[in-house]
Amino acid sequence: MMLEMTQKEEKFIIPIGPQHPALKEPGHFEFAVDGELVTDATVRLGYVHRGIEKGAEARNWNQNLYLVERICGICSHIHAFTYARGVERLAEVEVPPRAQAIRVLVAELERIHSHMLWFGVAAHEAGFDTLFMFSWRDRETIMDILEGLTGNRVNYSANVLGGVKFDVTDEHRKTILEAVDFMEKRTKHYLNVVTTDAMFLQRTRGIGVANLQQAHRLGILGPTARASGVKRDVRVDAPYSAYKQFPIKMVVETAGDLEARFVVRLKELFESYRLIREILNNMPEGDLQVKRFPRRIKPGEVISRVEAPRGEVFYYIRSNGGEMPERLKVRTPTMMNMASVLAMAVGHQLADMPMLLVGIDPCFSCNDRGVAICNSKGDHDQWTWERLRQHGIDFYAEKV
Amino acid sequence: MEAIGNIVSLLFFPGGLFVIFAGLMYEWLDHKIIARSQNRIGPRWFQPIADAIKLLTKEEIVPDGVNPVLFAILPLIALAGALTAALYVPMAGLKPAYSFAGDLIVTVYMLSLLTLSIGLAGANAKERFSLVGSTRALTQLFAYEAPFLLALLGPAIAAGSWQISEIVAYTETHTWMMILQPIGFVVALIGLMGKLELPPFDSPEAETEIVAGALTEYSGRGLAIFHLGKGAELIIGLTLITAFYMGGVSNPVWFLVKTVGLLAVLAALQSLMTRLRIDQTVGMWWRYGALLVLLQWLIIVVVQLV
Repeated sequence: MMLEMTQKEEKFIIPIGPQHPALKEPGHFEFAVDGELVTDATVRLGYVHRGIEKGAEARNWNQNLYLVERICGICSHIHAFTYARGVERLAEVEVPPRAQAIRVLVAELERIHSHMLWFGVAAHEAGFDTLFMFSWRDRETIMDILEGLTGNRVNYSANVLGGVKFDVTDEHRKTILEAVDFMEKRTKHYLNVVTTDAMFLQRTRGIGVANLQQAHRLGILGPTARASGVKRDVRVDAPYSAYKQFPIKMVVETAGDLEARFVVRLKELFESYRLIREILNNMPEGDLQVKRFPRRIKPGEVISRVEAPRGEVFYYIRSNGGEMPERLKVRTPTMMNMASVLAMAVGHQLADMPMLLVGIDPCFSCNDRGVAICNSKGDHDQWTWERLRQHGIDFYAEKV
Repeated sequence: MEAIGNIVSLLFFPGGLFVIFAGLMYEWLDHKIIARSQNRIGPRWFQPIADAIKLLTKEEIVPDGVNPVLFAILPLIALAGALTAALYVPMAGLKPAYSFAGDLIVTVYMLSLLTLSIGLAGANAKERFSLVGSTRALTQLFAYEAPFLLALLGPAIAAGSWQISEIVAYTETHTWMMILQPIGFVVALIGLMGKLELPPFDSPEAETEIVAGALTEYSGRGLAIFHLGKGAELIIGLTLITAFYMGGVSNPVWFLVKTVGLLAVLAALQSLMTRLRIDQTVGMWWRYGALLVLLQWLIIVVVQLV
């Protein structure tokens, strides 16, 4: 305890989190500052670890669809999509093309609302609340559409194993096209604001630069990487589902600063609008679900990758022939991007920290995980329930 | 009789209760205009009053490691400074309650007491957000104070007096100073925003970085009094600028029209801009604000000599 005190006295540390107005989810950052200049940064995650991977092992294939949808509150569809795709490949079931198109349609609608949400939050971190309010108002258009399509605003529950639950009618088609036209107009306006507003550019241009080399070294994913010139997008690199029939163009910027991250995300929206129109105008006919999906899935393992709004979502699924998965491993993009925040933080002003952090579009609850640390002998110190309980009793007894 | 007059002017009008309530009302109007321009509904008219009453009745928690006397007295000094300043300005379009040669300087320094108190209050606490906030507040004070004062002295030089009542008498009978001295007007207006820590100069209390800045540790009564002081300072600042630059405030109706108009401009500026970093704020004030005001001075002097 004393040792820790003397070490800390040398540095003036600004703690951000676990509870802090800049963070919408709990995470803990310590920024060592010299005046306003950040000299060191550390992060501690894991405040919202929920044990979903372990929980998945105790639920059957169907139930897990609902469990994984709750990993992230923003990109809920993407998780169910990734999981369903993996399980379908494991079971060797071919999903009807109409269902695949609808899945991609919902995924792109979700990307729009996720990017608009991020855009508002980032503007708020910069202290530009008007932009925050406006972008969130416009985002409601998409939320209304998603609600109209699926009945839910957040966890749409669009997927079933082997298809989707609902059809897109002509009425839906009309409202979606109208909304997309409106959103396209607004997005053009926002892109104009982001690239021309002098006050805003003071906070974004040249701030938090991660060049191509750094981006590769840190393994950054998603729009954050594409802002640094990394050509990495699962939708293009390994087209899946309906992206094979409806290809997208990758949006890449090279500046690598915060402005580029804004521009990439907003330009990606135009691609999403184009894709949504294309899908709606060329919707394949056919069934929404396969006739029968097996209850037990034969032994095997599969990797499923999907481009979420924040980057690549990675699932590893293993079956032992039973009704439940033997192992489900999830890796979300925030996990990969978090290191870049720490690397970029040093040398910037304290005032830039919230924007840098939000620049990667972090989602804390998706990336929190339990980690077992082995010692040099290779065994880890496992605590039984009794030992944990006893520790708790002793700890509080000592405190009183 | 004179004693009663003094007590009334100190406690009720133009100092005291009137300034506090008018400040709260102007604060509400500011919030409402910003909210409407951000597509929100905004607070009801009594919201600031309700907030103040609620905070005043709540328990005040004195954190460990602060000097309790300073902790309690700093908000009072801030409010007292603002209320004292109100006595020398033509509040509600009427004549100032008190007046003496050079009261302009005293008024401006009374208004600075608020920022100074906030800075000291932050430095008094052990809390790290408070320390950063107080450093920023004091840094900002050094940035805007000189240009703001120089901007207010522009009309004073034109009027040939440093007494507020005489300057107002001069501006009422001449062309609006914002037309004759546009640079001074802009600097004074932006200086007022800096003084009140309104966006984009709100980095001393940037919530996404340092929570509530210097006042993070304040709760209850102390926080309420600081807020009242800020409200008072808002209305005094608006009065000073309208009186100096917008053709004076000859009666209560003109006073209301002009100050509310100016407040609308302030609110529009606030909702249009991104928060500046503290280094950008300081850079802007010394690189542009101070130099422009000096240029304005040069023009005034040259014109007067000619």
